[in-house]
Amino acid sequence: MKHFVTSKFRYILYLVLVAPLLLFIAYAFSTRWFFPQPFPIEWTMETFQHVFHDSQTIPSLAQGLWIASLVGLLSLILALPAARVLGLRKFRGRQLVWLLFFLPTIIPPLSVGMGLNILFLRVGLAGTIAGVVLAHIIPTLPYTIFTLSSAYARFDENYEFQALALGASPWHIFLNVTLRMMTPSLVVAALFAFLISWSQYLLTLLIGGGQVITLPILLFSAASGGNPSVIATLSLLFIAPPVLVIAVTARQLNQHGNQIREQY
Amino acid sequence: MKRIVFLFVTFALLLAACAPSAATVIQPAVATDQPATTASTLAAGEFDINNWESVLTSARGQTVNWYIWGGSDTINAFVDNFYGKALKEKYDITLNRVPVADTVDAVNQVLSEKQAGKDPGAVDLIWINGENFFTLKQADLLYKDWAQKIPNAKLVNWDNPAIKLDFGHPVDNQESPWSSAQFQFIYDSARTNADELPHSYADLKTWACEHPGRFTYVDPTGSGGFLGARFIKGALYELSGGAEQWLNFDQSLWDKNSPALGSYLNDLKLCLWRNGETYPKDESELVNLFANNEVDFSMTNDITGAGRWINDGRMPATARAFVFNQYMIGDFNYVAIPLNAPNKAAALVLANLLLEPELQAAQILPENGFGLGYAIDVTRVTDSAALSALQSAATKLGDSATPASDLAKSLVGDSAAEYQTLVEQGWSKFVLQK
Repeated sequence: MKHFVTSKFRYILYLVLVAPLLLFIAYAFSTRWFFPQPFPIEWTMETFQHVFHDSQTIPSLAQGLWIASLVGLLSLILALPAARVLGLRKFRGRQLVWLLFFLPTIIPPLSVGMGLNILFLRVGLAGTIAGVVLAHIIPTLPYTIFTLSSAYARFDENYEFQALALGASPWHIFLNVTLRMMTPSLVVAALFAFLISWSQYLLTLLIGGGQVITLPILLFSAASGGNPSVIATLSLLFIAPPVLVIAVTARQLNQHGNQIREQY
Repeated sequence: MKRIVFLFVTFALLLAACAPSAATVIQPAVATDQPATTASTLAAGEFDINNWESVLTSARGQTVNWYIWGGSDTINAFVDNFYGKALKEKYDITLNRVPVADTVDAVNQVLSEKQAGKDPGAVDLIWINGENFFTLKQADLLYKDWAQKIPNAKLVNWDNPAIKLDFGHPVDNQESPWSSAQFQFIYDSARTNADELPHSYADLKTWACEHPGRFTYVDPTGSGGFLGARFIKGALYELSGGAEQWLNFDQSLWDKNSPALGSYLNDLKLCLWRNGETYPKDESELVNLFANNEVDFSMTNDITGAGRWINDGRMPATARAFVFNQYMIGDFNYVAIPLNAPNKAAALVLANLLLEPELQAAQILPENGFGLGYAIDVTRVTDSAALSALQSAATKLGDSATPASDLAKSLVGDSAAEYQTLVEQGWSKFVLQK
């Protein structure tokens, strides 16, 4: 009986998750769907073709993926040492450092972005991919640091000492012990960074100044026009990469989880 | 010790990992920045606006960054297909259409560049009018003395006050017109009979109160409020019995007529959709209410009437445009070049291309998806092929557009810019919050 209730609940949950997606699909592939028609009458691929043939769509998709991947990689590299110290060491002012790292999540991005835009314009980073990547690292860093430091908090340094005692080189230890044990958290942290960067509108608009165009820029611009078919089509394109990335990594992480469980 | 060694290794690895990725980050930036700067330093020295050949020569190979409202995919496609292709084929110029959610984003970009002292900037051309133009003009950030010097400026009737003044502000040769617009209403011929339509603001009030909840207008105070403000100014014209008196600002005229306007709008409010407690914030929201059968009328500025909306799948094919007998405000919209534009020559070529008679004829056809009217004066076109293209385009607007004679008969100009603020403030104080 209990099993029946939970499985029922599970299906309701699935429905809640999938329903908006279905609505998007219905809007993206139909036209002239007005109240009081319960379902679209005119199905069409026209909007989809329009959006694909738009000179901006594919380049902005590619550019957004490239930026989000770079942000994922760079914020991992930046977060790893910080997270190690925060997760493994106790020192005076640790809380203060935590607070500093978390400031970007509290301060509205608009205030940071406006100031940053002027600064980046001066040093020639505004309107460039490098500038946008740097700006995106600001909101992503708290999440990567948080994810990795909680992983380090559970990390047993004795594994590293053990390897050292057995004669492994520090490089060897880092690659084959530390990184290997951290892999699931690294993947999760990179995923966070990727998702946050992928969906950035404000910072991309301010720093990119229209020279760097990603999908959220197109989506906001289309939303201001209010055509539900175009908005739905762009939204489907927008959610596709994150869903794919999560689907792939979820599988990976599951396998890793099992591996780690076996080890213990 | 071990700890130090370990930290050192981590740090070294970090540096090693940083180096190649940092290089890859910077590379594309340099690649995109370089041609723009070199081209602009050449361009600045090379062209003379009075010698069009030199403009064409220096524009060759440039990329023009056109900041343009990107909310309509049919307009986006029109810009790419008509101007993008023509620029490439005829002038070897690449069009970079930069879609913005609101023209004010482009204005802010130019203002920030000014603050940071960035020259050349990023913006070559902006689709602009009204307050946004005034902001940039006042800040002295626009390229000057060009609009009447491009070859096709001779096709524009620069003596027309509606062109020479933008919301009452003198254009002063700092922007060039692209297209024209006129306020109209839209109804659904499948729902409403043409002979029941109101043809004056007085009629409209009667109609609205006979059909309570079936009419509303756009909130005049929001970012998409120009349409609502235009609706209210039309009412002001009718109640005060004339449009010309509003061309110059006169506070006492406003003080004399605003009470009547307030009481008209408040009477109307009782019969509005949701009792006038809330209003659609822009044209798009009103279109959704209309298409989903919540209200019976929509509003537009398009010369093609409902044509673009029908093509876009936003309105039923039975939608039709109509006007009152009088006081339907019309105006022009423009393109302007920022003072720090990196590719001014290419921007000039594009601004000139916009006024090309063949493209002007193309822009009014509903199937091309732009939907706004001519900026040029058709009588000034001497080329017979172009003239016939313009004339035949005007007859192909279809059933969903208002007949040209009705438009011409009801056309009036906008009022002085100062009234815009008075209308907005008066409306939120005496109508919305009452």
